[in-house]
Amino acid sequence: MKNTSTSSPISRRTMLRSSGALVATSAVLAACGSSKPSIARIGESPTMVKLEDLAVTDVVLLRTAMSMETMAAAMLSDSAVTSLASKDSAPVIAAFAAGHTSHLEDLRGLITARNGEPYSETNAKLMRAYGQTALDLVASGKLPEDTLALTLAVEALVASTYQYFVSLTAEPALRAGMVQLGGQSSRRAAIAAQLINGGTVGFAPALDKDGVALVATLPNTFGSLSTVQVKLGPPNEVGSRTTVLMDTPSLNSLIY
Amino acid sequence: MDTHQVESPDMSMTTRRRLIASLLAGGAVIATAPLFAGRASAASTGGSPQRDPADNAALNACLERESRMVATYRKAIVGLTANDLTAMTLILDHHVAYADALKGYLAVDVVNPSSAPLASPIGSIASIARQLAALENQTATIHTDTIGQIKGLDAATLLASIVTVEARHAAALELIGGASPISAVGN
Repeated sequence: MKNTSTSSPISRRTMLRSSGALVATSAVLAACGSSKPSIARIGESPTMVKLEDLAVTDVVLLRTAMSMETMAAAMLSDSAVTSLASKDSAPVIAAFAAGHTSHLEDLRGLITARNGEPYSETNAKLMRAYGQTALDLVASGKLPEDTLALTLAVEALVASTYQYFVSLTAEPALRAGMVQLGGQSSRRAAIAAQLINGGTVGFAPALDKDGVALVATLPNTFGSLSTVQVKLGPPNEVGSRTTVLMDTPSLNSLIY
Repeated sequence: MDTHQVESPDMSMTTRRRLIASLLAGGAVIATAPLFAGRASAASTGGSPQRDPADNAALNACLERESRMVATYRKAIVGLTANDLTAMTLILDHHVAYADALKGYLAVDVVNPSSAPLASPIGSIASIARQLAALENQTATIHTDTIGQIKGLDAATLLASIVTVEARHAAALELIGGASPISAVGN
């Protein structure tokens, strides 16, 4: 009887030997390497600048809230809006703008109490992203109803911003302050919606006879954080209007 | 008779064991990843906990308020018709959803809430709306104060999403109740 015992092709000894050879080869190759980039490049390459490590603190959120309130006040008091607003809606929109300006004082106090620096500019990134576009569309459309549509969108946006900030705020007392400020914008949004589609008929989401969604005072059960959409400006050749999408501030539009 | 005994099965056994061990280790890492992610998220909010059992009493108070708002709206809609009935039923449904959300959040920590109505709104739609607007304002204030007291971020976020809409309820109802648009905002 012949008993042939065949061992595995990879024995421990073979493996150690191979690993040793691999390490030695790697060391030789690494020593031969150059620190210069091996890929040929045409022209000058920019120096890599490491991004600053920024933290989303309560002060950052408050400064961003100031930028949003300033932006809302600026948009609602822009000549594109004030020149087109109807006799009935103009004083309401002006009061809403004043309300945003008055919030700036509250926010300034909260920031200085936390050794932060108040921010008195509009949120430049969001103005570029959609604020100025919305105002330009209102101006070019010359439709008085656009002023209330824009007011509703701006108030809904500010309310969503504060609601979102609650989830980022560290200090519980400040979370309550955020909700209080956001609640004011939420109330203004409801009033703007009622001025567009008034009475209890305007409370629930509904469609008109052509199947187009009407403005609802209470469109959601819970506060929404999704993009605020508003149709503004002149109708195009097929009768549709530009939809402006407004998002709450995110990491790239916070005021650090 | 030739017997060819190959040792490779032993090796493959070892490999299989290692493979299983590696898979278990990998599974453990994947399972604990959300835990670490949660910590990272909390770190961005100054280490605030997502949940805190100490919040349960305050949240049960909010739940009781919502349950009583539901009972109040159930009384208020009796006798309403057409658009008024649709509008008030919509707000009633919102409060039912808020109570359900708080019950879901508290789960086994729910203390059976009272469902006694807070008022018995009667009269014209304007009169009913005025009474309900006052209750909505009070409810929003209760929830806002609770947000300022509780530590848990999840509960604060939930209450914030409720207050945002209750503020709308209050303003719209004040307008239906006869307030001017500017005074309904309460600037």
